[in-house]
Amino acid sequence: MAHILAIHSFRGGTGKSNLTANLAASLALKGKRVAVFDTDLASPGVHVLFGFSPAAGQSTLNDHLQGEAPIVDCAHDVTPEQVKQAHGRIWLVPASMDSNRIARLLREGYQVEKLNDALFALSEKLNLDVVLIDTHPGINEETLLSTAITDCLLMVMRPDTQDYLGTAVAIEVAERLDVPAIRMVVNKLPEHFDQEQVRERVASSYDVPIGALLPLSDDLLTLASGGLAVLTYPTHPWSERVRALADNLLDTVL
Amino acid sequence: MVSVDLDSLPSGPLSMTALVSLEPAPLRRLLKSGLRRGMASSDLASLLADDWQCSLDSPEAQALLAALQERGWLGRDGDLWKTKLG
Repeated sequence: MAHILAIHSFRGGTGKSNLTANLAASLALKGKRVAVFDTDLASPGVHVLFGFSPAAGQSTLNDHLQGEAPIVDCAHDVTPEQVKQAHGRIWLVPASMDSNRIARLLREGYQVEKLNDALFALSEKLNLDVVLIDTHPGINEETLLSTAITDCLLMVMRPDTQDYLGTAVAIEVAERLDVPAIRMVVNKLPEHFDQEQVRERVASSYDVPIGALLPLSDDLLTLASGGLAVLTYPTHPWSERVRALADNLLDTVL
Repeated sequence: MVSVDLDSLPSGPLSMTALVSLEPAPLRRLLKSGLRRGMASSDLASLLADDWQCSLDSPEAQALLAALQERGWLGRDGDLWKTKLG
């Protein structure tokens, strides 16, 4: 059965989707069969990283959660050429970008249990190794479900006081749900910040292992979500640390 | 057997928000274990033994499962016990 990896943040703008997409690529570069679920249904975005946009007639996660589309029809192969050469595969289950569909979902909601079943049905159907869930920031029914069913929760934050406070709330919830493994990821770390001080503050705030400290990067800003940094800038420190995080996750929890 | 006042459990469909706020912790763990693919009876028996210090066929365990089933929170799905979210 596939391992579930939920990538979550308490606040928006942490780079969660960017990290999700690049982690997916890093795992697939190791030959893994990976799916990415965009459960940020109110403000989807991870599809952009894969250069994917649903064409007319192509199903999205919304079509499964609020309709009858089989989940396998909502999974689209977005494997980049470099990943194919490494014998990995990536499927994306995108959320709809149609404003009417987003509004309908927010208005009518859906059975969150259907999301649970979809994750496991797709993992069996595609013989997946890892399912990554790109969550909506904050706490709602979907993020609580993702937290409850994950094998490892990656909590993404910036070195910002509001993020420190909000992340504490999310971790408290995760601990109530007995999440088997939690890793902290500090993203967008300015160059002039003392990494050791940040590491100590995170360690003393949460008593949770640190998965990675990822630098604020002009190169990533230039890429502007137009691609995957681990493929476009493979030797960049940000990319190297994301790949190291993927390796560590494979060694310890996946 | 872990003490839980079954009559004090809220009625109505189970949401994730409600699951997180349930006490005691073994009750949250039981319902969490019914997510994902669900759990086989042997898994449920192990969980009850480890977490609740009772056997699956004990009157206490049967009363607990009946209370959860009555609320529609836990049900059988083929051979598996599954947590039902409303």
